[in-house]
Amino acid sequence: MTLPFLIIIPLFGAFSMPIISLFGKKLKEYWALIISGATLGVAAKIFYTVWKTNEIILYTLGSESPIGKGVKFPIRIVWEVDLLGALLALTITFVGFLAVLYSLGYMKHDTGLEKYYTLILILELGMLGIVITGDIFNFYVFLEIMSIASYALVAFRNDTWEGIEAGIKYMFVGSVASSFILLGIALLYGQYGTLTMSYLSLKIAENPTLVAKVALAFLIGGLLFKSGAVPVHMWLADAHPAAPSSISAMLSGLVIKAGGVYAVARIVFSIFNPGLHAYLKAFNMPSINMEAVGWVIVFFACLTLLIGNAMAVVQTDMKRLFAFSSVGQIGYILLGIGIGTLAYGSRAGELALAGAIYHIVNHALIKALLFFVAGAVIHEVGTKNLNELSGLARKMPMTTLAFIIGAAAIIGLPPLNGFASKWIIYESSAMYNPILAAIAVVGTVFSLAAYTRVLFTFLGRESEKVKSAKEPEMSMLIPMLILVVAIVVMGLLPWQINDKIMLPTARMLEQLNGEYMVALLKFLGGA
Amino acid sequence: MNIVYLTLGLIAIYLYVSAASLLWEGVDRKLVARMQRRMGPPILQPFYDFLKLVSKESIIPRDANKFFEIAPVLALASSIALLAYTPLGFEPLLATKGDVIVFIYLLALIAFVRVMGAVSSGSPYAQIGAQREIIMLASREVPMMLGLFAILWRLSKLGVEKPFSLGTFYQYNIWEIGTPLTVFGTFVLFIVFLLWLASEIEVGYFNIPEAETEVAEGPMAEYSGRHLALFKLSSALKEFASASLVVAIFFPWGISGYLGLTGIGAVVLDLLFHTLKVFIVLFVSMSVFRAITGRLRITQAVGMFWGRILPMSFIGVLLIVIDVLGVIA
Repeated sequence: MTLPFLIIIPLFGAFSMPIISLFGKKLKEYWALIISGATLGVAAKIFYTVWKTNEIILYTLGSESPIGKGVKFPIRIVWEVDLLGALLALTITFVGFLAVLYSLGYMKHDTGLEKYYTLILILELGMLGIVITGDIFNFYVFLEIMSIASYALVAFRNDTWEGIEAGIKYMFVGSVASSFILLGIALLYGQYGTLTMSYLSLKIAENPTLVAKVALAFLIGGLLFKSGAVPVHMWLADAHPAAPSSISAMLSGLVIKAGGVYAVARIVFSIFNPGLHAYLKAFNMPSINMEAVGWVIVFFACLTLLIGNAMAVVQTDMKRLFAFSSVGQIGYILLGIGIGTLAYGSRAGELALAGAIYHIVNHALIKALLFFVAGAVIHEVGTKNLNELSGLARKMPMTTLAFIIGAAAIIGLPPLNGFASKWIIYESSAMYNPILAAIAVVGTVFSLAAYTRVLFTFLGRESEKVKSAKEPEMSMLIPMLILVVAIVVMGLLPWQINDKIMLPTARMLEQLNGEYMVALLKFLGGA
Repeated sequence: MNIVYLTLGLIAIYLYVSAASLLWEGVDRKLVARMQRRMGPPILQPFYDFLKLVSKESIIPRDANKFFEIAPVLALASSIALLAYTPLGFEPLLATKGDVIVFIYLLALIAFVRVMGAVSSGSPYAQIGAQREIIMLASREVPMMLGLFAILWRLSKLGVEKPFSLGTFYQYNIWEIGTPLTVFGTFVLFIVFLLWLASEIEVGYFNIPEAETEVAEGPMAEYSGRHLALFKLSSALKEFASASLVVAIFFPWGISGYLGLTGIGAVVLDLLFHTLKVFIVLFVSMSVFRAITGRLRITQAVGMFWGRILPMSFIGVLLIVIDVLGVIA
């Protein structure tokens, strides 16, 4: 059983870091690298297992079976890993490993690095916990682990005013969001008396009360905060530019996905199953109107992708521009999830979900690359103001190449990976409702304008500040190049990846046959 | 084996189209000269120009970056790739369902690469030209896409095997439908496409980014020698491909069917006939337009696209849509 090691290894790495750091300056960096590399190996193994067998891994903490002695319901914490969880775990560990590698060079001039590496491992641990857990309170605990680690990392450079300011803002907003989520969980527990997600879904279907609806509203509200959807995206635009770039890459690539859109998808599809409730409704039984939930998500998605991308056009700060672009891309993912809920069980719904999942992975890679590029520019030139930067291409050709690939991929130009995922989202939204597709295309036009502007500052005439710039060191270049290769290779095999990985993942998440529940019910039957 | 034939076919098409498009440039210069009572250069002048440019030294400006040298190669590469999707009297080599988007994308990419190369040169003339080119690019593609998608959508209603492929023009053409509304709508769209073609190859009104007398060749200001030769060749290929699109939409008829030819002979004959039609369309949209109109200012050109040509495209599309949906019986 390899699943527990996904948590054990980073936990061990984080807790041993203060001791390891006593033994030498360099050792802690290599220790973090080894730990995150090992986690990547475990995640790859788990992903391969789940993908190969196409079955949900159910792991119970502390016993063989989640079912209590003499009772007919689960009493223990279970971890339930379906393909979506495994895919996210693989993405998280991959980008996390590259971020640690990048930090070797990038964080060289900072102090307090043993705390930095402890926090980065805890951040990874929190996200991994979120994507593998099948227990809703366990989910909350991991969400808080992730959130608190990211508050601390945003404010890591506590001698800069913007770091502190962004950290405080993020912490206040994030705590409110977390308490919404906790309130939602408390309501669900009070009503149904269980915390296991799959059992909860069964209980909610048996008796969908008003409390369940209120809880759902609190959960989705809190998670939209965490994913940076539009009316509540203001923390993101401050937190991402202020954090060290290796952390921005993780925040933008992973945190808003694991703690935001992944959790939305998990709660909408695994706890409140749209198919089950549509079935109940067909027989005039009490049910929750999942169509309304879908429209709420689609509404915020459209707002997010328009405002996020439009705000990116007017930015003069490179990292702030990337941060707003992340908001915009979250809009696409939410649009996919929303249409997946609305058109549940149809071809459009399945495609939309597959597109959303595909875009989660693609955007994680692309945005990590772009923030690495921004970090390299800040590290070498010392400014991220686009008006002062111009003509970087002569002094930093590899970084410029990485930027061009990243920008082209995020706009969605064909030979790169962003194309396929966006295409699937456009196609499915056009199948469901052409107006939504038109909104999505308008969002892309804005993001094209935003990135073209940055491109002109990379090319063009050299400005004074750029004259003395040079390429960053190898430990910063290598992660960028790995990501460039990943983006290009994924871009060359878009439909194969979609058919082999993303569509099965979407089907498993959709759980047309209630796979997520059945994985637990097997124990109920045998007990 | 198939991929080998495809590669050979693409090489053959590339060689043929290069020769034909350079030949057309010579014809065009001769015709415009005659319209102005001049002798003009010999018909083969563009070939000599090309060879001379290739043999000259290429000067790289001090402020240029690596992309300055890569851009001409990329531009030519995308033009050659474009040929694989261009209808040339027969179905494009790589015709699949939805390939119209690849066609539009590659066409825009050539212009975009030119802009990036210009920006990379570090010259302010090239920068101004690049900005103008981007503005033109953003304005001119919208009416064209609207019209093209409408026509392909109309044709896909007739039951074609590859909807939204440029190959469908050889199965059905838009005149075949024959109802008055469609014919009139198509005629409106034809005018839109002629104007679009003129702006795509930047002649007459729309010779704005390259405006020799104002911004000293704009995007091409710093290019010389073989880099310039590659750019010239790629714009000649693009010119032929864009005109081929207009020909394929509005005049897709071949003559091999009437003569009862099949196999390789039919392909060659259709290609030659297609070339003739391309030359005629280019004569109207390029030579005549270039000889009788002056250049607009960039604001006027943008105003013309959004204020006149786009509404015209809308009208044409609406007429076709009304006809299909049968709103008025």
